[in-house]
Parts: sequence; C-alpha cells; structure tokens
Amino acid sequence: MATPDELFCWEGDFGLPSVSTECLLVLAYAQFAGAPLKVHKISNPWRSPSGSLPALRTNQNETLTRPADIIIHLRKQKFNADYDLSAKEGADSLAFISLMEEKLVPALIYTFWVEPKNYVELTRSWYSEHMPFPLSLFLPGRMQRHQLDKLRLLREDASLEAGDELEKELYRDAMECINLLSQRLGSQKFFFGDSPSSLDAYVFGHLAPLLKSRLPNAKLQQHLKSVENLTHFCSDILLLYFPRDARENSNQKPSSAAEAGGDGDEVPYKRRKQLLSALFALGAMLSYAFLTGIVSIQHQQGALLEPPHHNPEQDEEDG
Amino acid sequence: MSLAAEAFVSQIAAAEPWPENATLYQPLKEDQILLSDCASSLAVQAYLRMCGLPVQVVCRANAEYMSPSGKIPFIHVGNQVVSELGPIVQFTKAKGHSLSDGLDDVQRAEMKAYMELVNNMLLTAELFIQWCDDATAAEISRPRYSSPYSWPLNNILAYQKQWEVRRKMNAIGWGGKTLEQVYEDVSQCCQALSQRLGTQPYFFSKQPTELDALVFGHLFTIITTRLTSGELAERIKGFSNLLSFCRRIEQTYFEDKSSST
Repeated sequence: MATPDELFCWEGDFGLPSVSTECLLVLAYAQFAGAPLKVHKISNPWRSPSGSLPALRTNQNETLTRPADIIIHLRKQKFNADYDLSAKEGADSLAFISLMEEKLVPALIYTFWVEPKNYVELTRSWYSEHMPFPLSLFLPGRMQRHQLDKLRLLREDASLEAGDELEKELYRDAMECINLLSQRLGSQKFFFGDSPSSLDAYVFGHLAPLLKSRLPNAKLQQHLKSVENLTHFCSDILLLYFPRDARENSNQKPSSAAEAGGDGDEVPYKRRKQLLSALFALGAMLSYAFLTGIVSIQHQQGALLEPPHHNPEQDEEDG
Repeated sequence: MSLAAEAFVSQIAAAEPWPENATLYQPLKEDQILLSDCASSLAVQAYLRMCGLPVQVVCRANAEYMSPSGKIPFIHVGNQVVSELGPIVQFTKAKGHSLSDGLDDVQRAEMKAYMELVNNMLLTAELFIQWCDDATAAEISRPRYSSPYSWPLNNILAYQKQWEVRRKMNAIGWGGKTLEQVYEDVSQCCQALSQRLGTQPYFFSKQPTELDALVFGHLFTIITTRLTSGELAERIKGFSNLLSFCRRIEQTYFEDKSSST
C-alpha cells in the first residue's frame, strides 16, 4: 500500500480523541472502516495544510477539508463502513444526517459558542490554553464570530443574539432530534445492526462533545444524559474504538477533581509560558528604550548632548 | 415563530373551524416566482388538498414581504397568518386536521428525517442552482425576482437577494461546490427517496402524509420548470417510481381543478 494519508485534527480532551465534532466524525469513520491514517493531533489550525481543521492530506498531495469529502475519498479507496447496508438503510442514513444538520447543529453551535457562560468558561478558555501564544489572543474570538455568523445565516436572522427565547427554541428542536435518534436506535448496538456505519460516525461526532464536555450551562447536556441508549452508544464507541483516550482521561480525573485543580496538569506549562512572555515583553521594552535613547546608562550620558552635533557632522561628511 | 407566539396561535386556532375564505399568498406566478418558492408553495397546496381544506391561491408581487417569517408561501386563515410548511402543519393539527396521526413513533421519526432530507438537500440545491450558478442567476433568477420593480430598485433587490443566498451557501459548506457536485447530491437525495418509496403508492403505504406533499411539491416543480439546463429534470426523470408518484398525486388531488377550468 502507498503511504497512508495524513489527517490533521484538533487535540482531544475530556476523554475524547478530539474536541471538534468534524474531527471526531472523521476519526470515528476511519476507525469503523479500518482505514490506516496517520493522525496529527495539533492545536494550531495554521499548521494544517488547509488552514482549518480537520484536514486530510492525501498521498497525491490533495487537501480535503469537508468531512463529507473526506469520507467519500476513503470510500473510493475501498474503506467503506457502509458496505453492508441495504439501499433503504443507506437512504435512512442520509435522512437522519440531514435531520441532525438542520435541528441539532444550530443548538450545538449555540451551546458551545454563543451561550455566554459556556463560551467564556469552557470554549474560549480551552482554546486559549491549548493554542500557541500569539494565536490564543485573537483566534478564539475570530472562531466565535465565525460561528455566530453561521448561526445567524442558518436561522436567517441577521440580528440574532444570545437570549433565553432563542435558547428555548433551539433546545426544543435539538431535544426533539435527540429523541428521534433515540427512537431510531432503539435497543440496538449501532444504528444498523452489529457493525457501525457512517451514520454512527455522524451521531457520535455530534453527541460525544455534548456528552463529555464540562459545560457550566448544561440544559441540553442533561437532556442527552437522560437518554440512556444514546449515552451508552457514545460510551461504547469510545471504549471499543478509542480505548487509549478514554483511559487517559479516567486516569486524569482524580487529579483534576477539584475545579481549581482542573488546571493542575496545565500549570507548569502555563507558568513557563507566562514567564517567557513576561521576559520577552521586558526585553522588547528595554531594547526599545535603549534604541530611542529614552533610557540612558552612565557611559552614554554624552549621547544626550551629541544629537545636535550629529547633523552638521553628517552634512560635512555628505557634502 | 417563537414558542410563546406558537402556543398562543395554537390556542386560538383550536377555537375556530377552518373558514371558507382561507387564502394562500405567493409571488406572481407567470413572471416573478422562482423555482424554490414555487416548490414550497405547491407543497403547501398539496398538503391542504390532502387534508381536504379549501384554500384560494392569490398572487401578489410583495408576498415575500407580507410573510411573517419572510418565506413563501403563507396562509391567511381567519385572523391568523402562518408561513412555511412546518408551522402550517402544526396549525392545521391544532384545528384537528392531521395526516400523520396513524403513524407510530419510529415511522414519525423517519418521516421527520426524510422531510429534513428534502429541505437540506433538494431545497438547498434549488437555491444553489438559482442563485450561485452565474448563468441561471443572470438569465432567469435576477430578472424574474425583480420583474415587478423599476430601475434602480430591481437591481438592488436582486443583487441583495443573491448576496444573501451566496453567504448562506458559504456558511453551510456548499460555497465551494460545482454544479456537477450539486447535481450528484440531488441524484443521491432522489435515490434515497426512491428507495424509501419503493413500490408503495405513498411513503407510508396507503395514506399520504406531509412528507408526500413536500416531495411532490419539489419534484413536480423541478420536472415542469424550464431552466437554462435541463440536467436537473433529467436526473429526477431517471427514477420511474418518483415520476409515477408525482403523476398519481397530480391526478388525485389536482385533476378536478384542471378539469373544471
């Protein structure tokens, strides 16, 4: 086989292999279909070949960004998780994926990016901590504006703002969608029998972050947690296909039990980063001060008197 | 509609029976209406005929602006105004007319999912072809959309609408698609619908539901509308059970009107 394709995706946390829905979707599909992918987990979207995550770099040096395109590409290479599906089941997959995109995705965008408490305490702080220094200052804000615009376009309301009524409407649609998915899943292990398909990947990608993240305002999360079969569905997929990530976080859990200790693992890096940035700032300020002569050291005191003489000297030299 | 407004409307709706003078508003049929709006309007008309509720179709140039949500079509029943198929279905349900009562939970889940499939793929594809394909936009969509207005308003409104639709396409990830890819998506969607329909007369065997109305509205409009390229209609005509489905609904619910005129 040729060299495997490379997948760039967001880092994982909270027991998930990745925090982003689209990355999770692609990772899950690749696991279900048995596709060998070289996975680069990064937290700097500017390092990916397309500037956003997820991104698949194929061995013909083509870059694909949309999850649907990535799945089509894997299918063409004979990694097809939908091989055993009947035509009707394939049709149902398409229908339920559309249902999720229309009813669930707006509520998820609201929960993670627009709802003020969730955005400030969870999303923005997670991205700021994990992104490298200059990006963490502006990129989370830019991502938030992009998501808010997307929500406004999806709802076709240009003046949409966070608020209780919008929240109720979005959550009502999302809860209905979750209930419909639950009814379709029933007591089966996966949506179409015993082996997972692309619909399972989509459902997992959308529901797992909602299930596992530590959201301050968790209304939708609580509703999802009360739906037993979908909760088991997500946990089963994590245990079966991503055992390393599920285990890593269960080891971290005792140490990060207290809220203040939630940063416990990050503190050394955080302090180092803070120290480095403070030193850099100090160095920059001092060098600027020296170069412009605002600050002068003893042996350069004469420099304060020199500037008026410089010009005539230079004229003499030039002339 | 907001939740409070919906609850209010439902309460009032339940109080009165369906009046004789209910009207459905849409843009001008000959000159102004576009493919996507015509499809949505036909879907609502089919649904109301399936419920046996009489409605008069009135064409107005400013129908889009009259509508409470900005979408076509909308119905004026009694002293209430409701737009789009979803809210209209709920409105008629509050008045006691429903086509999907006989479905069990799993079937209702499938029906809602397939309705979203049509909205997500077919309607989006129609909007894409109308506004994001330069040839169609210049020859058909912009002239038609702005036909009731004079210069310079016609240019402003047409370009504004085009810009809005293109922004939405970019947001949902359809911005980078080519026309070929969109036709492929439509084929896939029709294949899914065709598979689900199979050899049954309607999607949920003997009785039509709102899903049948929605699918009929879109497919019939696409087949009978002339665009710059006949590719879209050709793709749909490739599915014979969908064609006979459309013909069946046309004959059952729309024939009496055409034979009387």
